[in-house]
Amino acid sequence: MPTSLLVISRQAPWSGPSAREALDIVLAGGAFDLPIGLLFLDDGVFQLAAEQDARALQQKDLSANLQALPMFGVDDLFVCADSVAERGLDPTCLALEEARVLSAQEITALIDRYDQVVTL
Amino acid sequence: MSTLHVLSHSPFGDDRLNSCLRLIGANDALLLTGDAVYALQPGTAPFNALNARAPTLFVLTEDAQARALDIPGTAKGIDYPAFVELSLHYDKVNSWL
Repeated sequence: MPTSLLVISRQAPWSGPSAREALDIVLAGGAFDLPIGLLFLDDGVFQLAAEQDARALQQKDLSANLQALPMFGVDDLFVCADSVAERGLDPTCLALEEARVLSAQEITALIDRYDQVVTL
Repeated sequence: MSTLHVLSHSPFGDDRLNSCLRLIGANDALLLTGDAVYALQPGTAPFNALNARAPTLFVLTEDAQARALDIPGTAKGIDYPAFVELSLHYDKVNSWL
């Protein structure tokens, strides 16, 4: 049984490379069939805001990468309910429909289930 | 399963500490290193949040010392060898990078 990894992404999408890099790690893990999960926490939930357009910032759209997650076999996708609520986002209109919205208690249990966890 | 959460960023103007305190489990512990030890500054919001949640708390002594911060009785000061032991004691380490 390979080691399972939970990546916690807590960076907003357009201020630096962190959000994209966290996503790339998860996609790479998925491509190699590793048991990998992704949790969006804090400003990381802004990655999931609907109808973003960073073309004027000369940045590539992250949503294509997000939609690629299930295709790469990454089905364990989670969003922190508190982070979503604090930032005024609608949990029913997130860019990643597959993601499950979790309470703080559920996230504690989630972290428990994985062998390794890293917060980026 | 138990997790050692390791923070190294200042809690002022950053949400790592608050989010960590929200997610930390009963079997987990928190280790403050680097600028994260500023959470021990008495009378501040991070200090109060830390005391309110009261997790099992470790502090890298040299980082607190360097910043003239006292390690409260509710925390345990450790050195680097103890840091290594601690990371082996817990099932995993979650570094909040």
